[in-house]
Amino acid sequence: MTATRTETEAAPAVSVPSSGEPKRFRLNSWDTRYTPYLIIAPFFLVFGIFGLYPLVYTAWVSLHDWQLIDGNQGFVGLANYVELFGDAKFWNALFNTLSLFVLSTVPQLLAALGLAALLDRGLRGRAFWRAGVLLPNVISVAAVALVFAQFFGRDFGIVNFLLGLVGVDPIDWRAETWASHLAVSTMVMWRWTGYNALLYLAAMQSVPKDMYESATLDGASRWRMFWSITVPSIRPTILFTVVTSTIGGLQLFAEPALFDPGFAANNSTGGSDRQFQTLVLYMYEKGFRLFDAGYAATVAWMLFLVVLVVAIVNFSLTRRIAGKG
Amino acid sequence: MSRRLVGSVAATLVMVLAAGCGGSSEANGKIELSLGLFSDFGYDKLVEEYMASHSNIKIEQRKVKMEQHNTQLATQLAGGRGAADIVALEEGVVSQFRASKDKFVNLAEYGAKDLKDQWAGWKWNQGTADGGEFVLGLGTDMGSLGLCYRRDLFEAAGLPTDREAVAKLWPTWADYAKVADQFTAKTPNVKFVDTGRNVYKAILDQTEEGYFAKDDSYIAEKNDKVKTAFDTAAALGTKQQTGALEPFSQDWNVALKQGSFATTTCPAWALALIKAGAGDAAAGKWDVTTAPGGGGNWGGSFLAIPKQGKHPKEAYELAKWLTAPEQQKRIFKETGNLPSQPKVYQDADVQATVNEYFNKAPVGKIFASSAESLKPTYRGTKDSKVGPVFGTALTRVEQGKQSAADAWTQALKEAADAAK
Repeated sequence: MTATRTETEAAPAVSVPSSGEPKRFRLNSWDTRYTPYLIIAPFFLVFGIFGLYPLVYTAWVSLHDWQLIDGNQGFVGLANYVELFGDAKFWNALFNTLSLFVLSTVPQLLAALGLAALLDRGLRGRAFWRAGVLLPNVISVAAVALVFAQFFGRDFGIVNFLLGLVGVDPIDWRAETWASHLAVSTMVMWRWTGYNALLYLAAMQSVPKDMYESATLDGASRWRMFWSITVPSIRPTILFTVVTSTIGGLQLFAEPALFDPGFAANNSTGGSDRQFQTLVLYMYEKGFRLFDAGYAATVAWMLFLVVLVVAIVNFSLTRRIAGKG
Repeated sequence: MSRRLVGSVAATLVMVLAAGCGGSSEANGKIELSLGLFSDFGYDKLVEEYMASHSNIKIEQRKVKMEQHNTQLATQLAGGRGAADIVALEEGVVSQFRASKDKFVNLAEYGAKDLKDQWAGWKWNQGTADGGEFVLGLGTDMGSLGLCYRRDLFEAAGLPTDREAVAKLWPTWADYAKVADQFTAKTPNVKFVDTGRNVYKAILDQTEEGYFAKDDSYIAEKNDKVKTAFDTAAALGTKQQTGALEPFSQDWNVALKQGSFATTTCPAWALALIKAGAGDAAAGKWDVTTAPGGGGNWGGSFLAIPKQGKHPKEAYELAKWLTAPEQQKRIFKETGNLPSQPKVYQDADVQATVNEYFNKAPVGKIFASSAESLKPTYRGTKDSKVGPVFGTALTRVEQGKQSAADAWTQALKEAADAAK
């Protein structure tokens, strides 16, 4: 969404300097050429301080034996990375992260598409429904996690109660890997589906209505129109949401952390056997519980690379799929 | 919508930035001291009094959850700023922070050594380093061990309910396990104990050396006491006599309210947690008695002063006052936190204290006598890193994911990694 907006805002600026005397013209051309840079400069300045510098510093820390409180204990080169590649807990966390990401993002975006399509139709009390879908996103993640952790309680949880009504044995949601992933994904979906639906809705409303009219004349079904007109038309937005939810999904922390009742105590491992420990949780365990900042920085850097790779793959995949419509 | 979004983001940023700039120290000529605490130290009234009698001092209490407190303190020490003038160090992590003692003021410089005799010897030692030359912290409370049980559930299972008689049932933890069997045979739908983890911790807290020998070398693999404690707790888990609950979690509170377990290990400070979880409806149903295996200590804290603070001398005076015998006695009367000073817990007034909620149990007497027979466990520098590994192993047994033997093997492996 941000990408499309800057494009449209920058566009009129280019077409302005066509009239006026030469001096004014020169100033204008300077203005049009450099002002955009000037305007976005603060972002890059802030990004440099709060984004780039920590990134580089983290890389530096990851090359050292670095204890959280006592600081630098000496240069170790790539030793942390070598250890990481042989670390089963790291691979487990990577698996959990990817599994949770797929389990939460794919259904979430599909549901968001469907929801947006529904909202796009002439519903009564439109504003109410639209505001409503955003509500879960406004509520603090801690509150959401607290409530969901109770829903998925083993002994007195409502989910197990409902399952019991249809004859399913109670599930220990924190003990089984698949069950815990399902539970955590539900939380993520609950929070983000509405948000993405609104983004899709905004894009859908700019799709020219005459396309639908002519398709209707041709006798196309609603389903057909949705996949052949709506989805290809909102492609940029889909790309945007795929990239942002990739980044967000791979950095999952608060939901699994708060789902683990041991997190408040000294047992923040994401399950008794790390069933739902994500990469960020593992980083947290290493850095803030075991005070091994060097190793935590290594995990952070690997996470950065994973996010980069997955985001690029997703981006090109979605572009191809959505482009074919 | 987007403009409003930008507005709210900006507002949030401003708030975050404003909150970040908290550490002022001298406002209108007053010296400001901050106290970094977790849970309930019972200092509210004391702080008011201290400010009233010291007109030049202003005190601010910062309370967060314990885990968050420890993490925050670690980053503040690393960053060299942001820590409170006085910070509480819990017994489980004090050895970890002791390893970074150069970030703290040596309280001996202000004469702390003269106070030594106030505390139980082991409590004093836990707060010092370098053979007593470096005084890291002054002891607050301690957590001598008791055992809490539900009278009504014991009665339903045909067990005695009188606390003397119950204590006689379990001189040792093996006897405790036998009582568990009897209990389960009669009332199979109620769990005998909340979690095997606390049983394990309690047994281990009754030994002088746990994961580490007194020279700080790692001995968990060869220490029979660790294995025995683990096996005892794991057996309860295998027989599904535990509630498989995370101690002090929300689920634990719910289970307390539902009365779904009959016993739990309780250090003095846990009484308040049980009362809060079980609620008024369970008043008089819970009772306290002597723990199997004699005295032990779990928890209790120290007040330490980070070097980065601007007023170490004033901070020391306050810490000294807060941990002095008179104040410890008052805190016990108000919150039930057990004093770590023999003179105080032997005090007739303290000994006579009963807890109404726990069926008028003479908690002063029970905990004080537990403190008398207490052999404190040596906590290694990496104790707080190794300990949780065995806790999660027991959870795996309780969840039925692993046999006790497999869980033990995996725990040893992970513990060796953590102890490296």
